[in-house]
Amino acid sequence: MDIQLKLEVKEISKAYGNNEVLRRVNFAVLDGEFFSILGSSGCGKTTLLQILIGLLVADAGKIFKDGADITTLEPARRGMGIVFQNYALFDNMTVFKNVSYALQFHSVDNEAAIKKAAQMLDIVGLKNFSAKMPAELSGGQQQRVAIARALALEPDIILFDEPLSALDASTRLDIRRELKNIQRTLGTTMIYVTHDQEEAFALSDKIMILNRGVVSQIGSPEEIISAPANDYVKTFVLDNLQTKIDSLRRFLT
Amino acid sequence: MRKTFLICVAVIFSAGIFAPLGSLFLRITPEGFVQVINSPQFSSAVWNTISTGLIATIISLTLALAAAWTLERTAIKHKNFFVIIFGVPMLIPSISHSFGLVALFGANGWLTNIFQWNFNIYGAAGIIAGSIMYAFPVAFFIFMSVLQCEDGSPYLAAEVLGVPKIRQFLDLTLPYLKRTIISTFFAIFSMIATDYGVPLMIGGKTITLSVLMYNKAVAMMDYNSGSVIGAFLIIPAVIAFLADILNPAQKQNDFAKNISVDDKYSSRAGFIFCLSLSALIVAPILTFCVMIFAAKYPADMSFTLYHVMRTIHRGALDNWLNSLIIAFISAGVGTIFSFALAYFSTRTEGFAARIIHLLSIFPMTIPGIALGLGYVIFFHDLPIYGTLIILAAVNVMHFFSSPYLMMRNTLEKISSNVEAVGKVLGIPRRFIIRDIILPKVRFTLYEMFAYFFVNAMMTISAVSYLAPPAPKPIALMITQFEAQRLIESAAVVSIAILLTNLALKIFFTMLNRKTPASQ
Repeated sequence: MDIQLKLEVKEISKAYGNNEVLRRVNFAVLDGEFFSILGSSGCGKTTLLQILIGLLVADAGKIFKDGADITTLEPARRGMGIVFQNYALFDNMTVFKNVSYALQFHSVDNEAAIKKAAQMLDIVGLKNFSAKMPAELSGGQQQRVAIARALALEPDIILFDEPLSALDASTRLDIRRELKNIQRTLGTTMIYVTHDQEEAFALSDKIMILNRGVVSQIGSPEEIISAPANDYVKTFVLDNLQTKIDSLRRFLT
Repeated sequence: MRKTFLICVAVIFSAGIFAPLGSLFLRITPEGFVQVINSPQFSSAVWNTISTGLIATIISLTLALAAAWTLERTAIKHKNFFVIIFGVPMLIPSISHSFGLVALFGANGWLTNIFQWNFNIYGAAGIIAGSIMYAFPVAFFIFMSVLQCEDGSPYLAAEVLGVPKIRQFLDLTLPYLKRTIISTFFAIFSMIATDYGVPLMIGGKTITLSVLMYNKAVAMMDYNSGSVIGAFLIIPAVIAFLADILNPAQKQNDFAKNISVDDKYSSRAGFIFCLSLSALIVAPILTFCVMIFAAKYPADMSFTLYHVMRTIHRGALDNWLNSLIIAFISAGVGTIFSFALAYFSTRTEGFAARIIHLLSIFPMTIPGIALGLGYVIFFHDLPIYGTLIILAAVNVMHFFSSPYLMMRNTLEKISSNVEAVGKVLGIPRRFIIRDIILPKVRFTLYEMFAYFFVNAMMTISAVSYLAPPAPKPIALMITQFEAQRLIESAAVVSIAILLTNLALKIFFTMLNRKTPASQ
């Protein structure tokens, strides 16, 4: 087995009644990789993410992390963190408490928890916002708190569920940059769910394109652009990207 | 843990709702049924219930909608004052409204004496007037909350397009309120039809079904006939329940804007309307206050504490303390129980959650007097009969659905990702509930507690069958004084209940202000 393999997903399937949401999904993520799951609304990407983190149980298939089968492991024991689109902050707690709160349940003493929370807030650029309440922050700042909270337990994989969808264009660019910095600095493996082609292509080392619960293609952004696997990939990904490039060109000329 | 919880819920609902209700229905025999429905009293009671109920419902809904619209959509002054005044009738028992009307318009009423004119308040007119006072605030607060949530964007578009205000009301507001009007109509009709406080006091010879049931089951101890009438009284509540669930709520537009109140649209007529309504609401209560301290209302208005002392000597203080204990137990247990069920039904998925939800809204279909009679029949031979426990239990089950729905609505607004984050971060669920959920829902918890407390303090429906002769809930002293024609003492009791409920409301208002928004 490749020593760099961090996560391996084998034959994952999930259905709600007669509606088959995921069909025999297979993919692998390397250690420290930025891996995006790209697809349109309702393609099953969020369901897949919830299965990876353990919030949903797959009907079939296995998940391996560092070679160990984690398919039935509780979410908290998978060594993963998650960041949601709607932040899911504890809005009755300060920014600092949001980040440090979970540490008490993992035998981290108070002093170490304070140090760790401060360090994480420093990484996401919110050192001076510790005493603020989430409601006092902008959307981008709230999402940074959610990232700091996920990082505090030092997970080796962080999952992102469309984390930038609710933010304005400028903030999205800032956070994208920060996510890449965090990935490089901490070496954390990141699995990123999005419907935004531009975001996926800008951030990812590897992209998996999901269409109606089936994997259409997995590859680096360059591989997908140069050799789209099928018409769906061509239409959904490349044509959309081309449209954005064309409009940008028109704007610039 | 989940299994234990579900078993506990099943046991509580079986013992608290289904077994008493089953006992009530099992009392109904074909002969008894035929005998009751063939009696002349029954057919006239059905007619009286429907006719007075329909008229009172239509008038209360119209007034409530007009008042809510005026306060929400015009720039009249002293809005908070009017909201407080309109809520006051919810803090006193329904029977007290009739007392107030009698004190003003009755044979020896204050206004009757001033105008020397017979208002004919006893009978259908009195039932309608009393029922309006009883039902108006409930409908008013429903309309207020729904109007507060209305999306303002269509009104902005209508303004730009030059649509007149009246057409905006007819073409935008009324269609938006259609669902609320339908479900509130049935809910208010059911509330009026099953209440016996108002018609008992002021109905005179006009007997409604609820009074007939009271007379049969409480006065004559004829439980078989009472059960037949109780079964009939469930019908309007079941229709209200079905109207509500078959008429699903519209989803709020995610881009909804608040409706801005145009300052130019200040309404003098609206202010006068609200002021007149307030006067009508406050007049009976003020009359009570005068009556309590008048030597012989309205002939001799010299100050005396005689009526207050007489009421205390007749056990009012003990009964008040008794009521306080029952109200605190009902509110404490009821709040915890309804929170637990609302949490389960919103935070879990699957068949069990749906069943819990249906069970939780089911008590809405059972009128208090029918539930009370069911309790008498089912618990009569058990040791808890005649104790505080059964009185608190019947209150919790009777008033359970509304606080449950309050909490459910609040919890639905909290993202379920909070629990998901908790799971991923390894935070035990009890800590998520204690540290995240409870602080977020504390205002709703206060409201739920206050709802149980206030209703437990003033209810005379279910508890009227179950209370021991002494000490009993203080609200029942009103029916006792009514029978003894001690109208001043009934007023003392009504004011005592009002002040107690008011004190609790003020306490929670202050608590809401003092509690910091964050921890």
